Amino acid sequence: MLWLALRFPRLAVETWSLPPLAVATQHGRVVALDEAAAAAGVRPGMRLASALGLAPGLAHRERDPARETAALARLACWAGQFTPQVSLAPPDELLLEIGGCLRLFGGGPALLARIQASCAQQGHTHRAGLAPTPLAAQWLARGAASAILPDGLDSAGLAQAIAPLPLAVLALPERATARLATLGARHLGDLLALPRAGLARRFGPELPLALAWALGELPDPRRPFIFPEEFRDGLELPARIEDAARLLFAARRLVAALGGWLAVRCAGIQRCHLVLVHEDQAPSRLELGFASPTRDPQRLQRVLRERLERHALAAPVVGLGLEAPDPSPLPGASIPMFGQGGAARLAPVVERLRARLGAEAIHGLAAVADHRPELASRPTPEPIPLACPPPAGPRPLWLLPAPRALAEERGAPHHGGRLQLLTRAERIESGWWDGGEGPGDARRDYFVATNPRGEWLWVFRDGQGWWLHGLFA
Amino acid sequence: MTAPATTLLQRLQRTDLWSGAHLAVPPVPGLASGFTALDAALPGGGWPRGELTELFPARPGIGEFSLLLPALARLTAEEGWIAVVAPPWPLHAPAWQAAGLPLARLLMVRARGQEAAWACEQLLASGALAALLAWLPQADGRQLRRLQLAASHHPGPAWLFRPADQAGTASPAPLRLALAPAPGGLAVTLLKRRGPPLARPLVLTVQRPAASTRRPSSTPLAAPQATPVY
Repeated sequence: MLWLALRFPRLAVETWSLPPLAVATQHGRVVALDEAAAAAGVRPGMRLASALGLAPGLAHRERDPARETAALARLACWAGQFTPQVSLAPPDELLLEIGGCLRLFGGGPALLARIQASCAQQGHTHRAGLAPTPLAAQWLARGAASAILPDGLDSAGLAQAIAPLPLAVLALPERATARLATLGARHLGDLLALPRAGLARRFGPELPLALAWALGELPDPRRPFIFPEEFRDGLELPARIEDAARLLFAARRLVAALGGWLAVRCAGIQRCHLVLVHEDQAPSRLELGFASPTRDPQRLQRVLRERLERHALAAPVVGLGLEAPDPSPLPGASIPMFGQGGAARLAPVVERLRARLGAEAIHGLAAVADHRPELASRPTPEPIPLACPPPAGPRPLWLLPAPRALAEERGAPHHGGRLQLLTRAERIESGWWDGGEGPGDARRDYFVATNPRGEWLWVFRDGQGWWLHGLFA
Repeated sequence: MTAPATTLLQRLQRTDLWSGAHLAVPPVPGLASGFTALDAALPGGGWPRGELTELFPARPGIGEFSLLLPALARLTAEEGWIAVVAPPWPLHAPAWQAAGLPLARLLMVRARGQEAAWACEQLLASGALAALLAWLPQADGRQLRRLQLAASHHPGPAWLFRPADQAGTASPAPLRLALAPAPGGLAVTLLKRRGPPLARPLVLTVQRPAASTRRPSSTPLAAPQATPVY
């Protein structure tokens, strides 16, 4: 077992997605602050009035525990892309059991680099700790900046590794910390050197129990996070947004969570809905479509961008939701063989084209066994191998959407000059059964013809005269 | 005092230099066009890969598309899909099939003006296509330069059909052909190639629906290939 603890020390303020220089407050005091506020001299525990004195432009919001819980659950979904075993450690920590999947991600440092990049993209600050027991990992995440302990450490080795951590990582009550300080204990090493029985008598049984959990002497089971059956997540925006392009930035956390949730379920989506919540209107829903099932957050993000850039907002947006109603199974990717990768590489491009040009602008073509030329070629959403017997006569590459009437002079059709007919008539007589639908009943004699300009045309004659129907390009 | 230019070039052994009297040798051999006379006139012995080829047909319906069919039929399933962007009229599936081309690897894109050029750029940059055919009547020099850049990622040929009256405008495409009807086939004038100019147009016998007899003929150019299942 190897546990990765991720701590989000600024979660209380980051969950509001405010511009830099922001704090979260509780009972009039600062409890969490962002980097810009820290640089301005604001410290946790400071009164809001003093903080505003230091940084007049400071944005502040009252801390919202429900919002933080939702944010932590969203992060747990996101963490599903790394491991299926995730535990919540409220208020601001996640525990990931990664012993089984470390190799998949190329070792601890590579995994931490990936987590770092993904957190930065979502606008979350984090600290990481990696240790064989969950509690030691949490303490490392609270103490040092991103500490990694090797797997398979025994209790003595673990004790040595966590000894330099300050006592603050235990999150003990103020009084207990002060009493430990009077005993001369400032680091975990000092505490571990004291006899456990005496610690239990002075500070209650919890402290020696915690030490035993951290060192792996007693089991420390954690309740696993249950991934929801259905992905339906939403968030409130910090301000009214009137420009669709800015929504993309706000939606990035939802997209990251969806990606992780799909990875846990070994699923992909071919469509999902982005719900835009308006102030006094019914919410608008944007459908996002994908050419093949996917769970790649980059791909989701790209399609979302194309879609949002084209969308004109009906009203300012105050909330966002993301729903993935029908995930389909998507096993892990295998390396393409014999060029099948072409279609896979093309799929993201097809999605981008569809998002910008409209879904029906990109299509395949199927040949249909119908004698009437108008019905013999049909667009299909996906190219499908559809075999069909070849037609009786020559067929042009370009077929006009509707036949064009030709002028007639002395019994011969004209189009850029007098047409010379090159083939015998090909009689097409079909469709008497669907009168009124499409071309309906057709009775025509088709010819290949050329004109003095060198064009090769497909013309036909029916009861009403001569018509141009195609070009042999 | 100085060595003859040919010797110098032979010593330099560079693919991006060619003497005015010889055809350039591109790093990737071209895709055989199916017309011996045309292959001999094209640098690389066929349609260039990873570069734009501009075609200026005098009029539609003279065999400008049929000129490309033998080359398209040579592309294998491994090489990927064929994209047809912004064709002037709907492509007729039975004709495509009769030419021995697989419908299962055909991707049609409907777009206009700027959007068509953008779609071409996206498709070329993906590098996942076997060939691109596009009709860009409104493309300007800037768009063509972008497309030529994007085509460097593209492993196959990229043909752009443009109106004949734009044949005189400047273009970054290294190969430009004007097409005109000729008795017995299609007259191909090489407006630009990496090599000496060609004095006379080539007359090629492209596939015509009933060129030989008055009997309706449905012989395809090549045997229909087995189509892969996706």
